[in-house]
Amino acid sequence: MNSMLLRFAVTLLVAAPVLSATTPSCCHPPLAASAPLPVASLYQTEVDFTTDAEVPFRLAELRGQPVALVMFFASCGHACPATVVDLVRIREKLPADVRSSVRIVMVTFDVERDTPAALRAFRESRGIPSDWVLLHGSNDAVRELAALLGVKYKREADGMFAHSNMITILSRDGEITHQRFGLTGGLDEAAAALGAAAKAVGAES
Amino acid sequence: MTRLRLFLSVAIGAAFAADSALVAGEAMVIIPAGIYRPVTRAATDPESITVASFRLETVPVTNAEFLAFVTANPQWRRSRVSPLFADETYLRHWAGDLELGPLALPDAPVVNVSWFAARAYARMQHRRLPTLAEWELAAMAGYKTLIGRDEPDFNRDLYAWLVAPTPEVIPSVNTARATLHGARGLHGLVWEWVDDFDTAMVTGESRVDASRDQDLFCGGAAVASTDPSDYAGFMRQALRSSLKARQGTGSLGFRCAAELSTP
Repeated sequence: MNSMLLRFAVTLLVAAPVLSATTPSCCHPPLAASAPLPVASLYQTEVDFTTDAEVPFRLAELRGQPVALVMFFASCGHACPATVVDLVRIREKLPADVRSSVRIVMVTFDVERDTPAALRAFRESRGIPSDWVLLHGSNDAVRELAALLGVKYKREADGMFAHSNMITILSRDGEITHQRFGLTGGLDEAAAALGAAAKAVGAES
Repeated sequence: MTRLRLFLSVAIGAAFAADSALVAGEAMVIIPAGIYRPVTRAATDPESITVASFRLETVPVTNAEFLAFVTANPQWRRSRVSPLFADETYLRHWAGDLELGPLALPDAPVVNVSWFAARAYARMQHRRLPTLAEWELAAMAGYKTLIGRDEPDFNRDLYAWLVAPTPEVIPSVNTARATLHGARGLHGLVWEWVDDFDTAMVTGESRVDASRDQDLFCGGAAVASTDPSDYAGFMRQALRSSLKARQGTGSLGFRCAAELSTP
């Protein structure tokens, strides 16, 4: 029991910098104070993820913040690094006052190789900012999220993945408000959608 | 903090206890390890997939079992399900939210279930949907041998079913004859969801005609066929590539799978 408590406490400490303004993610408390989720909210999904800090994470924990979300895999040589750059650019296009309120979330579909430790290495080697959320999930969780987003992916014989390149903007309640397809163009539109989601937060909170 | 933990353990314990009643209901068979050769594949796909031995439910999930699931999980009832997880096809052959009615025999496979709903059901049983390769490996078996394609009476039954229209009332799971491993209804009752049904779409033909589509996908190549004689396999692949995760059909059900090691 002591060791469990210790782990719990460690979890809290580790979680604090990553999951600011959320309750301990181990416990998935019902969002009692909040209104019911809209019917199209992705946050109704019940699947579990783990952050690169080894903290359990449910997408519903993002509620209240505008989100730019992508699915990727760390050993991807071409499309995924480009996507990271695009996410940085989208964030830079936002007015300074809302920039810090948005969350950028990257979920890997390489459930075997992209362990939380591998994602930590990815964060370090690519200089991913500390407030971006990097998530590993079970096959179950990743498939469900991909289906919800409309992201297609498939593991190929060489262990790489064929996958859709898509940046999804979520409202503070987890509704898809915009999707940017492909690798070229569309950054202004994505930034506008993210900015609109951020404004909605500011207006209501 | 300790009290919170205690509360959580009790709550989790209760959830498991409630589930075990459902788990006990559905028998499983063991599907031995084998090799699945996809009927269609991209140049970058493996030629064959080695499938480890796993457990598969003997028959598809029935209307009665799914009724128990939606009764225990109100968020999956027809009137309450989120449109994110199921469209208007969901359980439309049932008479009501918690009423099967004349078109849904209690012991017939449940149909008109979305992929999300099938997965939620499986998760509740601490099981999962089989992968495409697992399902196809199980379905490869004939009545007496590992390769049903080579058995005349198996083929006769399979193709008689493929050409027959879907009956308005799906028959009981007990009407299906068992194949070699003891599973029933893999053919002859309904089509079944697999967990990775949508991988068939990654390399779909839609991206060939428009060069703009090239960067929508990272990788992928043209689809090539490996065994054009496997007509039934082609039909299943064609069906899977046309499915949407939110949408069920009147001839599409599912069954759950589990690792060999799980109790």
